[in-house]
Amino acid sequence: MMSVMPYTPIEMMIIAAAREIRDGETVFMGTYWPIPSVMLAKKTHAPHITIMVEGGLVTDAAPPRIPLIAADVTLSMNAVFCGETLDTMGMFLHGGHVDVTFLSAAMVDKYGNVNTTSVGNYASPRVRMAGSGGASDLACLSKRFVIMLEHDINRFPERVDYITTPGYLDGYESRQEAGLPKDTGPSAVVTTMGVFRFEEYSKEMILAEHYQGLDVDTVKKHVGWELKLAEGVKQTPPPTEEELRVLRSEVDPQGMYLQEERTK
Amino acid sequence: MSPQSKLTTTTEAIRRFVHDGDTVYLGGFIQGEPYAAVHEIIRQRKKNLTISKVAGTDHIDLMIGAGCIKRLITSYLWNPVPKSAHAFRRAMEKGIPQSLELEEYPLLVMSLAYLAGSMGLPFVATKTMLGTGFVRHYSFLGEKKFKVIESPFDGEKVCLIPGLHHDVGIVQAQRADEWGNTQAWGILGSTKHGINSCKKIIVCAEEIVPSDTIRKDPNRTIIPGFRVNAVVEEPWGCYPSYMQGYYDRDFRFFPDYERQTRNVDSFQRYLEKWVYGVGNRQEYMEKIGRNRMEKLKAGERASTPVNYGDFTAFPELEYFSG
Repeated sequence: MMSVMPYTPIEMMIIAAAREIRDGETVFMGTYWPIPSVMLAKKTHAPHITIMVEGGLVTDAAPPRIPLIAADVTLSMNAVFCGETLDTMGMFLHGGHVDVTFLSAAMVDKYGNVNTTSVGNYASPRVRMAGSGGASDLACLSKRFVIMLEHDINRFPERVDYITTPGYLDGYESRQEAGLPKDTGPSAVVTTMGVFRFEEYSKEMILAEHYQGLDVDTVKKHVGWELKLAEGVKQTPPPTEEELRVLRSEVDPQGMYLQEERTK
Repeated sequence: MSPQSKLTTTTEAIRRFVHDGDTVYLGGFIQGEPYAAVHEIIRQRKKNLTISKVAGTDHIDLMIGAGCIKRLITSYLWNPVPKSAHAFRRAMEKGIPQSLELEEYPLLVMSLAYLAGSMGLPFVATKTMLGTGFVRHYSFLGEKKFKVIESPFDGEKVCLIPGLHHDVGIVQAQRADEWGNTQAWGILGSTKHGINSCKKIIVCAEEIVPSDTIRKDPNRTIIPGFRVNAVVEEPWGCYPSYMQGYYDRDFRFFPDYERQTRNVDSFQRYLEKWVYGVGNRQEYMEKIGRNRMEKLKAGERASTPVNYGDFTAFPELEYFSG
């Protein structure tokens, strides 16, 4: 996808996802794309968030360098709590104190179910991926969660082969019927093409926003099912000068995420 | 009476306490990954191990490719670049060098299973995992992987997770005394309950310190010495992962590993060069080079000491003797 914009689709994705955070919230930060997004929110519109990670750390201070993994030692600088997985994922997450979780995903389906486990038959997979880590628990228990991924039609099948990270399962009431806590579930899927949300009753993923320079039809062609549109689907406001400046010069000045080849 | 020192070498500890067919817990979570011990297990060509690891990275991939692991229980396995772990994929997709039996729990559930294991509880209950692939698919644990019931207290669905137990466990921590009193700080993951769910325990420490150092700060101890069987001084033992207060993560290592292990032949060369062709950790670090080590060394940022207090004498003793 050629960009004629003065910013990249990756930057737009990071910025759009950051806007999902409200100031003062408790945010669980997964690995990879969530990291620049959460850091950007912290340094712009949401300075009072509390951030926690799987390994057991809680901080309300942006670390001096951008973490390259959610358990990066740099997070320990100025952290307010450093303990175990049973603290952050047990007491705070299972205890019901996490407002929003940010996760990276490999594939996501019509009901927001994420597969990071395997493609094809589970026992003899065609492609074997990494697996859950803490993503599955986080998606089961967070009041809402935001899924981030680079947009590619192969990453948007109608149904995933394996539900690593539960969205709304089969839609409607199925998530709650499975036994997952009430008032939990995905609130947005943020990609390099737009922002998707979930229809109130069917819980089907719908297009809420498309980025500048892309129209609705283009986005629809990059999803593996007949994508429905949210009422009032709109163009995402492009990055503000401030968002871009902070992202490039304060969040990731070395380009660890913004220049992807640096870390891959 | 002064107990017997448990000091030994990694080579000797692995020889004595890790046997073919054992269920082995490995500590660490991105910090403190026990690379030195893992390399030694590979060098001693241990076989048919069941490895239990809260979250697997490239060192588990290395053991899979080297043919040490028959069964693996973990929440994920990747090269945290993030990239695929190639040996893992070869084993899962093609059965090379041998097929791998993989049992998966998500991360919090792994931690809960260690908690139950460490306490000897038959199970713990959780609200996670319900509705996911984890309750649709199982491997070697079979029906003993989990059970979904209605809670006898509120009638809601809960998932029961059995405790995990291990023949032997290995951790790499910051410091220990020669009797195995072991201290760790930083992001601790699930190591405390994981290691305490093991029958035998091997501790590798960055430094062996006088017992007095431990005793002046007992809050930092994660394993008391009475649970420990062997103690090794193994500086840089978890390189290329980081050790809080000692060294940073070597971010160059992971993309290099990814590139060098893409096929069976290059994986084998990697193993020869970095594991079989090296006698011990010290030799390995010499091969990594002083220069690189110097760059990774952690700068100084000490905490403010706390006052534990001196409680030798009874205050107001005259009250009792009066």
